[in-house]
Amino acid sequence: MTFVTIENLSFRYSPKQPRIIDGFSLSLRQGEIVGIPGPSGSGKSTLLRLIAGLEVPETGKIVIAGRTVVDDRTYVPAEKRGVGMVFQDYALFPHLTAEQNVMFGLHRLPRQQRAGRVREMLELVRLTEYAKRYPHELSGGQKQRVALARALAPQPSLLLLDEPFSNLDEELKASIRRELRDILRQAGMTCILVSHDRADIEDICDRAVALGVPLAV
Amino acid sequence: MLRLSALKRNVGRYEGGWLAISLIAAALVLLPIAFVLLSLFAEPSPNWAHVRRYLLADYIAGSAMLVAFTAAFAAVIGVSLAWLVTGYDFPLRRFFRWALVLPLAIPPYIAAFTYRTMTSYTGFIQATLRNQFGITVPPGTLEVMSERGAVFILTICLFPYVFLITRTYLEKQSASYIENAILLGKGHFSIFFRVVLPVARPAIVAGLMLVVFEVLGDYGVANYFGVPTVSVAIFQTWFGMYDVDAALRLAAWLMVIVIGVFAAERFLRQHRQYASTTTQARPLSPRKLGKAGQALALGYCALVFLVAFLIPVAQIAVWAFWTYEDIWSPAFLKLIMNSLTSAALASAIVMVIAVVTARTCRSLSSAWAYGLSRLMTAGYAVPGAIIAIGVLAVFIALDELLDPLYRSLGYGDNALVLSMSIAMLIFAYVIRFMAMGYNAVEAGYEKINRSYTEAARTLGRSQTGVFLRIELPLLKGAVLSGFVLTVVEIIKELPLTWLLRPFNFETMSTRAYKYAIDERILDASLPALLLIAISLISVLVIERPFGVRKT
Repeated sequence: MTFVTIENLSFRYSPKQPRIIDGFSLSLRQGEIVGIPGPSGSGKSTLLRLIAGLEVPETGKIVIAGRTVVDDRTYVPAEKRGVGMVFQDYALFPHLTAEQNVMFGLHRLPRQQRAGRVREMLELVRLTEYAKRYPHELSGGQKQRVALARALAPQPSLLLLDEPFSNLDEELKASIRRELRDILRQAGMTCILVSHDRADIEDICDRAVALGVPLAV
Repeated sequence: MLRLSALKRNVGRYEGGWLAISLIAAALVLLPIAFVLLSLFAEPSPNWAHVRRYLLADYIAGSAMLVAFTAAFAAVIGVSLAWLVTGYDFPLRRFFRWALVLPLAIPPYIAAFTYRTMTSYTGFIQATLRNQFGITVPPGTLEVMSERGAVFILTICLFPYVFLITRTYLEKQSASYIENAILLGKGHFSIFFRVVLPVARPAIVAGLMLVVFEVLGDYGVANYFGVPTVSVAIFQTWFGMYDVDAALRLAAWLMVIVIGVFAAERFLRQHRQYASTTTQARPLSPRKLGKAGQALALGYCALVFLVAFLIPVAQIAVWAFWTYEDIWSPAFLKLIMNSLTSAALASAIVMVIAVVTARTCRSLSSAWAYGLSRLMTAGYAVPGAIIAIGVLAVFIALDELLDPLYRSLGYGDNALVLSMSIAMLIFAYVIRFMAMGYNAVEAGYEKINRSYTEAARTLGRSQTGVFLRIELPLLKGAVLSGFVLTVVEIIKELPLTWLLRPFNFETMSTRAYKYAIDERILDASLPALLLIAISLISVLVIERPFGVRKT
């Protein structure tokens, strides 16, 4: 049973430029974690932006959890897609604490449930004691976990991870990778992860897909 | 068919409200300027034939003369000072680095009447020479008046634009070029003429453009010294003949000149685009000067600072001290309130429009965004007289359009309601100073990472929600400083206020100017001093000499 379907997706930034994504297709089962490796500039991040609704494709169709979010006639904007995303630079709001960052996406939840959900999320990423800190008071790995908690909090149907380790020290990477994998499994998330580092994908993902041709691990 | 539905899909992406407000704002900014340019195609009024035949050539010659001399002197003074304070180390260098920007705080029309009075036969300079030293200067040698007075005043008030932009550029961008030239064994003069000047050319030209636009738009100085310029002529045509059409045509001529200057600058620049060799350029470290060099540099900086700032301000302060008991009154407080409230109201409108438009620009594709942001900032290069007469024409047309409505409200025939109200002045302020607020907001937005906005959207927030909860809190500082800068500019503004103020509505700047042209210089000094004090705020906001820099 496919949960996410991407069909024949194409995109270019301007009519004069060649297509950066050309006829890409992919399907995911629920709870599956798929990795997309590739050098920078190969269109990986663009693909995530298209899925999230931050860019509009030239052609193609994306269906998430049975709902068509984009095709030739439809465009569901980012805020209505229910797709979570962890940005490469984490994009934690600098004027909000870790807790407030996680709370930010919970405006649709009844007020009395929000605090509980935030606590739950911070426990999941083991940052409960850092709740009141501002982003600039957190380490790189802690920021990443806040960003993850923030993206998971509204219970998105699909989570996108854009180069989640590129801002971390080499020594930290291995342990943080394992941690991330455990959190994602625990949450049962359907994920797409892009990285220029194959090791990231081998450690975390169920399978890898190249932009263009599917390939097996 | 397919393309059409895709197009509809893509347009639907933008949240309509933001875009619509931005486009309406841009149209409003352009409306008076369009009115001015369209007047070229209308049937000329009888007065115009007279103006064109006997006066136009003089006006254009006067404007050209003022622009050419002021720009030349401002370039020499501004560039030489900028290079001195960045390239060399001498006593008080750090002080002059920002103190030489201070003359910007003196509105030129205030410097004009101050200097003219100071240097007159009864002014303190000639009086001191006569009474203390027994020297009598022949009349006409020292007096700051007529054409040369106007050039002198505009130069000392406007050279800081060239100084400021060139200095910033040299400090931040030029280190590698200049240090290389030093290593290659070039002497001081050859470094200045063969490296500093060519490398800093874009910055110098940018500063000079500001000077040129200010001179073209100047009304107070040229009118006070009796120099016939196009800007002055626009006012005289309106106040003398009450002929909007002839004034509009003059404004259109001035607009053509402004566009010409603009195009010339673009054309000259297109082949020269220097980009810094690295993004993280080191600041230039100044070289130590010998004893004689230090004395010369110090003397030169001190002389300019004295002449352009300290002496006129001290003179005004003395006059204000003599007269403040007579001038300080409830009526004067009313004047201050008028200045503050009209400036604050107009600035608030400017900031709201600036924020909305800057945000829309961010979400549009680059070409459209560029066009929209250029439109929003167009008012800055347009001389105040053009905007004044354009706005007046728009409001008179509006009143004609609304005539039936006025009649039904019982105002009588041909009533002028809008064009007699403060709304007209506020509208003109908004157009003239939109660029100021817009640039501040745009700079603020550039510092906000785009991914904040995108992250907030993937978390399910609407455009407006993202704006209120993420962007606005991060933008607070930029909006506030933009607001302060705009308020200050509006308070010291003269030509728009002079022409568009409602009957019996006076501000500090119109009162100071009115006293000055009535030769009541002492009475003008208190409002003038206050205006300078207020203007100093904006220099402090821009320069932050005391190192109050928020990170």
